[in-house]
Amino acid sequence: MKVKYIYKCLMIAFAALLLGSCSSPEVDAKFDQNATDRLSGRQKELNDLLLSSADGWKAVYYTDSTQLGGWTHLFKFLPDGKVNMASDFTGKDGSIDTKTYQSQYDIQVGSTVSLVFTTQNRIHLLSDASNYPTAALLAKGYLGDFQFYYYGQKNGDIIFRTNRNSHFLRFVKATPKDWADLPGNVPIIKAITGDMNSPLFRILEINDGTTTKNYDFSYNPSARFGTGYSLESGVNTSYDLALSFNPLGAYSKLPLEVKGQKLTDYVYDSATNAFVATGKDGVKATIKYTNAPPRLTDDYKVTLPAAGAPSTAYGYIAANLANAPTNSQLCNYLLNEINNASAAKVNRVQFTFYNNRTVDIMYSFTGGKATVYHRATVTEDAVNKTIILKHSLWHNGTAVIAADPLVKNLDDKLMDPKGLYVTKESFRITYSNTIYTFAGASSSFRITTYAFQ
Amino acid sequence: MKIFKTYKTVVIAGALLLASCAHEDQPKESQLDFTTPAKTELDNWIGTNFLNPFNINVYYEWNQNLVDNNRYLYPPMVDKVQPAMEVVKKIWIDSYTTIGGADFVKKIAPREFVLVGGVNLNTNGTVTLGLAEAGQRVSLFQVDNLNRKSRASITQFIHTIQHEYVHILNQTKPFDEQAWAKLTPSGYTTSWYVEPIATSRSLGFITSYARLNIYEDFAETAATILTSSKAEYDAILASITDANAKANIKAKEALVVKYYKDSFNIDFYTLRDEAQKNTDAVINN
Repeated sequence: MKVKYIYKCLMIAFAALLLGSCSSPEVDAKFDQNATDRLSGRQKELNDLLLSSADGWKAVYYTDSTQLGGWTHLFKFLPDGKVNMASDFTGKDGSIDTKTYQSQYDIQVGSTVSLVFTTQNRIHLLSDASNYPTAALLAKGYLGDFQFYYYGQKNGDIIFRTNRNSHFLRFVKATPKDWADLPGNVPIIKAITGDMNSPLFRILEINDGTTTKNYDFSYNPSARFGTGYSLESGVNTSYDLALSFNPLGAYSKLPLEVKGQKLTDYVYDSATNAFVATGKDGVKATIKYTNAPPRLTDDYKVTLPAAGAPSTAYGYIAANLANAPTNSQLCNYLLNEINNASAAKVNRVQFTFYNNRTVDIMYSFTGGKATVYHRATVTEDAVNKTIILKHSLWHNGTAVIAADPLVKNLDDKLMDPKGLYVTKESFRITYSNTIYTFAGASSSFRITTYAFQ
Repeated sequence: MKIFKTYKTVVIAGALLLASCAHEDQPKESQLDFTTPAKTELDNWIGTNFLNPFNINVYYEWNQNLVDNNRYLYPPMVDKVQPAMEVVKKIWIDSYTTIGGADFVKKIAPREFVLVGGVNLNTNGTVTLGLAEAGQRVSLFQVDNLNRKSRASITQFIHTIQHEYVHILNQTKPFDEQAWAKLTPSGYTTSWYVEPIATSRSLGFITSYARLNIYEDFAETAATILTSSKAEYDAILASITDANAKANIKAKEALVVKYYKDSFNIDFYTLRDEAQKNTDAVINN
């Protein structure tokens, strides 16, 4: 009996095993193909897609629109792993090379399929650790990638995700016009970047249909990113713009919302040198240059000591202030012009304002040249909050002399007929002296000085 | 027995049944893409000069697995690759081959060179010129900036390779670490990069980077001697006024010379002269 029971138990177990082994192996397939087939299929699909567009693809690459703008890239993929590429990236020296260059690309398969630009070309300029547009991006360049994971297609566009920060990047089919238009971005970029003669300040003017408000627009041309700060006291509103460019103007990935309208397209108006985004019902946003500081102050009054009061003095000292960030490009250019003309180098440019509305501007030099002084009258323009200097005479401390031709160009900027803005700055350089800047009201000249009282 | 017989039949039938279920698709050819990628002229040149004779591969196309993905680096310009690798071949491989024997580099060498165009800038402002990983891979940065007509540029570039190769030699045969560690034990610092080179030399170190640890110290000492002519190296020594520092650098030099002789039977000074001769040849051609 015992054996019989054992056999019975065995048979039941065996039957269970038998039945179990016949369970259907036909699992509901989640995919039509296995993983390898799918990956190699996607690889081929992406490559075919890239090659399919006769005029290639266009991508406006915003590497991080919270702190950087966008760079337009054009790609034409060729059958043998080669790619022609052009971009509107601004180089370290300010030049923009929109010519087309050839390099190699690859469709790599890892955990997913990715497009990799394997040899150097224009897109790699965005990931150069040693070329970064803001101090915060030290060793990170422009946060650019050149390996893009294939995410899919939408309305004929190819959607990628970038390698490091997983941002979406869209490749749109390019047209012959896109290639022809790319060099057209250059004058627009140069217009917003400006040169040494461009006014020093930028204003973001926002009109909501009834009232206009100005914002101090701080723009970093390398980063292609700017922020407009409210000029009203006690108001902390600010607007960020992340710009990319086209032959007509700029596009901001971050829309500027005014009265429920989203403004993104800023059309460049060469007549006024301004970028204007126009909405409905009079809503408008304008980026424009101005020589007048957005915030006018009474700081200029320090140059007008009252009768009987001691004189005040402010000096540019080359040894300490030559690299001051508040010296404008035009100022540096004019100083260098003097320094390069002969062995005499500028040592100081120093204002002494007397209590009788006159000023002596002292030019002293190293290299053996004697000090010269330009005496001028000082007139207050209380409306525009400037001081206007008018020529009286030149002297050498003891006798009247002829005007010094060496410093003429620089001196002319100080004799600006519209006057000078005087600003007390909040930072210090090397010493504890207060820093004052003197800026031309009708030029982009601005010089940095120490206050000596 | 009858029961057993019955069950036996059932068991055999069941076994047959199970076996019949073992019908599955047999594997076909691989689904992976094994086609050889098209080779460019540069690929063929690398094959002829590095891969075939020395079993060393040179990667110049981007592969994110070979580089630190947190760094913002990019591939070198294609037309800079061959000139850079010619320098590597002439000054490093040819010098060791001539002095150490035809098989020296074949036996001990990194198996991979990874070339990067950009500057490997660190967030503390220092720049990494090269990396040697596990004796297998040497990464060289700033390949784009190599100027073959400039001795300073060539020296800096070759210094990186010589330095990394010394690490690889050390990983094969260790140097006398105890003797080395006794020479200038107090001068090592992790903030070497803020130290002026003159200060480091007055403390008995050939460069500031040598002050990171004894392994970098050894590699820097050997690489600096290999990339300097005798006159240049003598000038460095002459510039050091501290007698003790000078003696320590000379003691380190002696340890390097001894290491090359004992471990590889190489006369270090002959190797230096050969490297200098080849450096001149590169600059003058």
